[in-house]
Amino acid sequence: MRFEIFLLGIVLLGQAPQNRETPKARAPFDMTGYWVSMVTEDWRFRMITPLKGDYLGIPLNDEGRRVANTWDPAKDEAAGEQCRSYGAANVMRVPERLHITWQDEQALKVETDTGMQTRLFQFGVPQGQGGNWQGVSKASWDFDAGFGFAAEQFDRGFPRGRMRGGALKIITTKMKPGYLRKNGVPYSANAVVTEYYDLVVERNGDIYLVVTTTVEDPTYLAQPYMTSTSFRKQADASRWNPTPCTSR
Amino acid sequence: MKRFFALLLLATGFAFGQGQAYNPLGLDLSGYWSQFARQQDAGLGTAAGDLGDYGGVPISEAGRLLALAWSASRLTLPQHQCVGYVTPYVFSGPGYFRIWEERDPQTQELIAIKMRPYAAMPDRTIWMDGRPHPPAYALHTWAGFSTGEYEGNILTVYTTHIKRGQFRANGLAQSDEAMVVEHFIRHGDRVTHFSVVTDPIGLDEPYPKTVNLVHVPNDPNSWTMPCDDAEIIPGQAKDRVDHYLWGQHPFLNEFVDKHKIPLLGTLGGPETMYPEFMARLKDAEASDAAAKAKLIPAPGPPQPSRASDADPHDGEIHVIQAQGNVYMLVGDGGNIAVQIGNEGPMVVDSGAGRLSDKVIAAIRTLSNKPIQFVINTSFHPDHTGGNVKLHAAGMDPEANGGNLRTFADAGVGATMMAHLNVLNRMSAAKGNATTAADGWPTDTYTQGRRRKLHNGEAVEIFYQPNATTDGDSIVHFRRSDVIVTGDIFNSSGYPFIDVKNGGSVRGEIAALNNILDKTVSFRQEGGTLIIPGHGRLCNEWEVTEYRDMMVIIRDRVQAMISKGATLQQVLAARVSADYDARFGSNAGPWTTAMFIEAVYTSLKEKS
Repeated sequence: MRFEIFLLGIVLLGQAPQNRETPKARAPFDMTGYWVSMVTEDWRFRMITPLKGDYLGIPLNDEGRRVANTWDPAKDEAAGEQCRSYGAANVMRVPERLHITWQDEQALKVETDTGMQTRLFQFGVPQGQGGNWQGVSKASWDFDAGFGFAAEQFDRGFPRGRMRGGALKIITTKMKPGYLRKNGVPYSANAVVTEYYDLVVERNGDIYLVVTTTVEDPTYLAQPYMTSTSFRKQADASRWNPTPCTSR
Repeated sequence: MKRFFALLLLATGFAFGQGQAYNPLGLDLSGYWSQFARQQDAGLGTAAGDLGDYGGVPISEAGRLLALAWSASRLTLPQHQCVGYVTPYVFSGPGYFRIWEERDPQTQELIAIKMRPYAAMPDRTIWMDGRPHPPAYALHTWAGFSTGEYEGNILTVYTTHIKRGQFRANGLAQSDEAMVVEHFIRHGDRVTHFSVVTDPIGLDEPYPKTVNLVHVPNDPNSWTMPCDDAEIIPGQAKDRVDHYLWGQHPFLNEFVDKHKIPLLGTLGGPETMYPEFMARLKDAEASDAAAKAKLIPAPGPPQPSRASDADPHDGEIHVIQAQGNVYMLVGDGGNIAVQIGNEGPMVVDSGAGRLSDKVIAAIRTLSNKPIQFVINTSFHPDHTGGNVKLHAAGMDPEANGGNLRTFADAGVGATMMAHLNVLNRMSAAKGNATTAADGWPTDTYTQGRRRKLHNGEAVEIFYQPNATTDGDSIVHFRRSDVIVTGDIFNSSGYPFIDVKNGGSVRGEIAALNNILDKTVSFRQEGGTLIIPGHGRLCNEWEVTEYRDMMVIIRDRVQAMISKGATLQQVLAARVSADYDARFGSNAGPWTTAMFIEAVYTSLKEKS
């Protein structure tokens, strides 16, 4: 019996918390710095404001199409809501530069020059009520990708050092309703945005941040809407050019 | 005791779980995958894209001009009907992908990851065992040659040796010099495929792009798509390759007008990838002017080739098996082909003669019999320079017996074969060239087809009148299914059309079509292999592109001649601007200007 207890102790010891580092310290990669979006997907939807009703590729339901067909940028401007297409569900698709910093040990701050938005990726229990364009974003380091292990198990002390890589997972909720495309394709306050941020280093030294985004919105979407976007690391802030939101 | 074993099971089970999580071989992508609902880039439809839609692709001038000349009618040509897909384009399609691992049966070490795209690309192998990539003179395929490595949840794959394919099926081409890095990033049942294409010909900057894949739980059983070419336009002339003259694309504005997009944006280029480009489009007048300038070649000298050199230039002879009994020797000027078997080697061309001793040594590694035949595809010295030494190193037993013994030198040395005009040029009976008599072809022919059965293989030699010279031949090893083209096809540069010695652009195009008449492939892959006069091992697809290029450049020059253009005006128009970055040269024995002059002169002589 004592041997059994001893064996059980060994097993439990393996599961015991060993890692009390902060999220910043546990980061599998450094994504701070300046980044520029590479507009190579959905080019005509992103670089040019599409015509009203051009929602090709977005799995809108009937209500979503109805709302998209009522887009009126003048109305948005009159309401002071030029930033509707700069909300969390679409802001990473905007042609822009990012400035990513650690606000503190528990939160990453992502600023955009185009539209001058700020997102806060909070590890642990996120603070804030949302209701704004960027909503509330809960962050976690995701080391499980493809392996079947959840990040929490790593938090319990799985030997992370044996793993290379990992991703930043962001779940954003409580957003003010906005646009998935600049031409008024809607998402609602019920939308949930799940993002994975992966870092890729090329042999020529180029560093890319690959953002995979899934938007789920029972109000306007018939199925999840998935996109992926790449950003290339910039040496400095020399091309940083803050410009306000525009609605057309 | 039972409790002990239960706890032991728990312990070992947990340990096993850890082992799965920590997989030293990395993540497993095995299974079925498909593009996610075609949500992203849905505007590209079946990845084809509208004509003139190049926005967001960092194409070079050459890439843009090539696309602007492309006409969808070209798909009626037999060699264009079943072309394969390349990576990363293949991931833009609507079909499925099956991925599985190949492991060493004993050690279970991962050797390769295999991938079966739904169609239009044969099974792809991603080597995981650290093997090197092939040399530059090796064959290119649709799938290319891929090696991979794991980085956490990312499989990174490096691919070279890809055939010339497409970024989009609207004429936007990915050149055969492209190198592709792919990252398969897995998050549960989703994979983000992030690729970066580096293409010194078609792109001015690396081209990053993502595609979203989703795991498919069941076998979609959709893995084949038969395709055979057919005669779509009955009686279509073989030297017709549909294209648009620059500035005369009739459908260029369709996409622009439909979506109200400034033309400058749709014409692509590195600047279209970046946020700053949005501001550039706001000045409509400047934007239109910039767009118009992009529809034709920019003024200036031709671009030199940015392609890699298939010849290592290391003073060594490099041997690569083409297929069957035929090998290609690289390193001494023009390529040399060697056929081996129970009889003495049959050699096609002898190189420049600078490394003949090494050529002979290399041939001896393939066969211990003396060289029996040497066939010259033309009289040019980079193909006949080694004649004397190769002749001396060989013997022809067939000529050394019977009645032929009455000749003192019967069978002494390899029998040298070529069209009569090669002998005439080399012996100065025609023209001014003088070469050592020991290197002259003595077994000459004048008929269109000379045939031999050698080394158990049917060998056909076809005379190609007035192609690069008046004495060109191609050699077809029928059982091995390899065609040696001489300088009629040069995968490294423009054809050396030697107008003074009987070459002509019409003969060159006819000769390329003659080669294509003899080739067979499946999806422009496999089947007949081509040993070019210079450059890497090829097959039908590369000859097709070369033929297309020759026809298109001929048409452009002819169009200018018809309007009374002088040679200087033709040269200034940069009529080969879409091909110069691949085949051109501004220095050396055969420059782009000399090539264009040859085309011009050749056409003027006939007009």
